[in-house]
Formats: sequence, C-alpha cells, structure tokens
Amino acid sequence: MSEKEVIVGRESLWTKSGRKLLRDRAGVAAMVVVGIYGIIALLVSFGVIAQDWDKLGEEGFEGMSAAHWFGTNINGQDIFARALQGIKTAFQVGVVVAISATAIGGILGAIAGYFHRTIVDEVIMWIYGCIDAIPFYLFVAAVAFALKGAEFTVPVLDLHISLAPYAMHIAMIATFWSSTCRIVRGEVIKIRGLEYIQAAKAIGVGPLTIIRRHVMPNTSHLLLVQSTIAFVGAIKSEVILTFLGLGVKEGVSWGIMLSESINDVLRGHMGNFLGASGFLFVLVIAFNMFADALQDALDPKKVSG
Amino acid sequence: METLQYAIRKLIYAIPLLFGVTFLSFILMVHFGPDLTYSILPKSATQEQIEEIRAELGYDLPFLQRYGKFMKEVVTLDFGSSTSSGEKVSSILKKAVPVSFLVALPAFILANLLGILLALYAANHRGRFPDKAVMVLAAIGMSISYLMVVIAFQLIFCTSYGLNWFPVQGWVEPPPDYPDATAGEIFYYYWYYYWSYVAVPTLASIFVALGYNTRFFRAVIVEELNRDYVRTARAYGVRNRKIMMKHVLKNAMIPISTRIIITLPFVVIAGNLVVEKFFGIPGVGLVTYDAITNGDLPIVKAVVTCTAVLYVLALILTDIVYKIIDPRISYSK
Repeated sequence: MSEKEVIVGRESLWTKSGRKLLRDRAGVAAMVVVGIYGIIALLVSFGVIAQDWDKLGEEGFEGMSAAHWFGTNINGQDIFARALQGIKTAFQVGVVVAISATAIGGILGAIAGYFHRTIVDEVIMWIYGCIDAIPFYLFVAAVAFALKGAEFTVPVLDLHISLAPYAMHIAMIATFWSSTCRIVRGEVIKIRGLEYIQAAKAIGVGPLTIIRRHVMPNTSHLLLVQSTIAFVGAIKSEVILTFLGLGVKEGVSWGIMLSESINDVLRGHMGNFLGASGFLFVLVIAFNMFADALQDALDPKKVSG
Repeated sequence: METLQYAIRKLIYAIPLLFGVTFLSFILMVHFGPDLTYSILPKSATQEQIEEIRAELGYDLPFLQRYGKFMKEVVTLDFGSSTSSGEKVSSILKKAVPVSFLVALPAFILANLLGILLALYAANHRGRFPDKAVMVLAAIGMSISYLMVVIAFQLIFCTSYGLNWFPVQGWVEPPPDYPDATAGEIFYYYWYYYWSYVAVPTLASIFVALGYNTRFFRAVIVEELNRDYVRTARAYGVRNRKIMMKHVLKNAMIPISTRIIITLPFVVIAGNLVVEKFFGIPGVGLVTYDAITNGDLPIVKAVVTCTAVLYVLALILTDIVYKIIDPRISYSK
C-alpha cells in the first residue's frame, strides 16, 4: 500500500483542504505575510516595539534616516513607528469586526436556513434586506448620530462606557453580517434536507440542538472564508471612514496617516503617504490572496489533487 | 396579465422592506438621534421658546406619532431646513443631485463597460496567461484603498509634482457674462470645464471599481461558458466570437445588469463622499460630508432615507423588467 492511499483513507474536509492550501504557493506566501503582520501587531500591543510613535521631534518632515526609517511627519513624529502602530489598530478593528459579524451572520443564517419557508426565515431576510438598502458610509453616519452621547452601562460594576468611539465598529458589524447570513442560509437550505438531519429529527432532537450540533459545524468552512473577507473589508473601510471623520479618533491608524498625508503630498512630503499606503496595500493584497486560496482549498468541487 | 400580477405581487412584497428601511432610519436618526433644540435656538432662549421649538420638532410626541410625523416627511419629501444654513433640504438636494449624477455617470458607464470587456477577454482565455494577468491586475486593483488612489491621482494629474494637466479642486462656474457669446461658445465653455473637473475623479473611480467589476463579471461569464448549450454550439461549429457575443454574453447579461441597476441609486443619490469631498465637487457627497461633520441631521436623514427607498424601488424594478425580458422567471423562483 502506497503512502497516498493511507492518507486518503482518513481524510476529512479539513485535512484535505490543509494539504490543498499548502500546495498553493501564492496562498502560502500570503499566509506568511499575514502571519508577520499578526506578530508585529502582537509585539506592538504588548509594548515591545514602536512605543514612541507619539513622541514629538524637534524638526518636522525629516527625510529617511537610520533613526527615522520613513522620515518624520509634520510634528516630527516617526512615521515608521506610526505605521507599525497602524498595524495594531488595523488588526483590532479587523479582528473585532470579522469575528462578531461572522458569528452573527453564521448563527442567524443557520436559523433562517433551517426554518426556511417559515416566518423566522422571512423576518431574518427582511432585516438584512433593510440593512442592505442603506449605503454603508451613510449607515455609519446614522449610527454615529444615534450613538452620540450614548452610554453602555455595566450594571454590577457601575461602569459607564461611552459608545460614541465605537460607532464605526458597531456600524461595520451591523452591515457586514448580512453577506455571511445570506451565504450560510443558502448552504443550510441544502443541508437541512440531508439524511443525517432527518435522522436527528426522527429520534426527537430539538431544532436548536440540531442547528448547533449538526448544521453549524457544516458551515464552518464558509464562516472561515467570510471572516477573512470581513477582515479586509473592515481594514479598508477604516481608512475611508477616518478620512470622512467617522472612524478612528484616538491613537493612530493608517486612515489618520493618509488623511494627514493629503496636505503633505501637495508640499512634496511623501513619507506619510508611502508609509501608510505601503503597509495597507501589502496587508490587504496578502489577505485577499489568502482568502482566495482558502476558498479554493475549501471548495470540494475543485479537484486539484 | 401574468406580468401585471407579478408586478403587483412584487410591489406588495416591497411594502415590509420600505417600512423596514424607513423605520430603521427613524430609529437611528430621530428616536436616538441628537436633540436639535439648542442648535436651532438663539442663545439665552426663554423657557417658552424652548417648549415651542420642542413642540415644533415633535420631541414631546409619543413614539408612534413621531414615527408618523417622520413618515409624512418622507412621503412629502419635505425634510425641513438645514440646521447650519437654514436652507430647505429639498432645495439643497435639488442642486446637488444633478452635480453628483454628472460626476458619477462617466465613471459608472466606463467602469462597467471596461469591466465587461476585460471579463470577456479573460474568460475567453480561461486558465491561460491572459486570464491570469487580468485576474492578478484585478486583485491588485481591489487591494488599493480608494483614498490612496485619489491622493496619488491628484498628485500625478493635478499638481506640478506630476503632469499638472487639470485643476486641483473645484467645479464648473457659470460662464462670464459676455453679451456676444454664441450658444456654441457657451456650450464649449461648459464642455471644457466639465471635463477638466471631472476627468481625474472619473479615472480614480474607474480604477477602484474596475477590479471588483471584472472579477464579478468574469465569474458570471465563466459559469455561463460551462453550460451545455455552449458545448452544443461548439459541436455545431459555431465560431467562437459568435458564441461569446451572441450566446454567452446575452445570457450573462441578467446577473450583470442586476448588479448595474441596483448600484445605480447609490451612484445617483448617495453620491460619492470620498471623491466629492476630495475634489471639492458640490454634489450630494460633499453636502452629506458637511452635514455629517456639522451634525446637520435633516440633511443626513433626507439622504439616507431617499437612497434606501430608491434602492428598494430599483430592486422591484429589476425584478419586473426581468419578468418582461425573460418569461421563464416565475414568482415561485
């Protein structure tokens, strides 16, 4: 018996997809790049590197030097350190939005699909239909209006958290879940007719248990792909929203750097623009490539070996 | 007759959706929205004045009556006056909508046309080098932030660091008042300045949209290419060009035109916040941007609600148009 046959014998979707993914050279390269960004984000969060990003220098708009790799901005702050801080901000926004939006979309999608052709399905479809009708940037603006001065109170600890700075996150989650929901719903409508679901029903398993134990695990490959798409969407939206004055207000992000650079470039200082856009572009393209490779690897219809 | 029935059914189906989008707008921007009393009142207002304004804005009404008041605004398209300039919202939008439309239209048409052409080209060479090259370029285009593109394009085309061909910012002014200007000259004046202001925003918008469009259109066309009728046509010896243009493209037009039609309300009404703000074009995008930064609620309310309602109407319209084009579509589908 050859080695290959042994592997085939105990192959699941995940091991097979893993092998397919590892054979995809572009996908692996993209994964490595994303991994490096992730490590930098962790190092920045734990205070290991790029901590003096807000230290004011004596001279603004310095060129590239050993001390300031990308030069300095108008306040003499080191652009390289700020760009690294931007990675942390991007991962914060991306991870929070991707996980929350995919979780909400996945759960509601599974429920809607399982209760297809009932009022539950209609109501969930109605909700995402309404959200999709409002243009994204305007929706964020509307959410920002609604959250101005709103507070989230933790009852026991007497903690008051102002919601206004999170208008961007909340609005992104509120809009991004709908595409996941639609895709998962379509898949679940297919799954719910399969024999093992029928069998579970026949032995009297409750619908919520079926959804949780038997339906949702079979949509996890879709959730994985959708969360990578949401991650990229969140990072790109952050830049635009910050430019429009609806995004990140504290700390530093690539959106803040690019907004600052609008005046810089007209005076011939490219540091901010090139620094932020370079980091942003590489991360987004790597994530896009990774998402594509993941999608191909998880698609059982694509037989590449 | 069946088509009419279908259309009426679709319209009835849209009622909950219309109710939903207006209700969502109401909840976000009126119910939880900011209190405008003090931005309207002069300083040191008396208690009676405060009461009066609050009554006028409907803050003292119960929930359902406030919603009714909001719905009246939506139906009559009368959203009151801007809190920052005092001008009627409807007259502000009446000026801004045509500008947005003029700015967005060339980019919208070209980005879709070029997208279809590139997608046809890529799909025709599926799996080979031209396809891969187009798809890699599309992936790169999709990964570049809109803001990066507008900054770079302005630098390249509008400043002395680059080609310096076009003005940095602005919009067409009415022509200087020459008594002996002919109609042709006035037309030329508008034509010239229109393109000098619209060229760079158009290029930037095409650049950003093209990657997404090409990818979507290619997927649709490739799916169509895998169908049996294509194989049959090939077996009959129909020429490739004819298969692509006459059969595949025609069948792919349904998903393609859906995408085009449902993005139209966003293009026309919502405007393009980034481009209009960046290039100082006084369309809906810039009006909305200013309204967002100034907290000018009536304008944001009007723009959000109108776009959402138009989007829902466009969805119904596409459904009805398809029913007329393609009789295979039935209600149950």
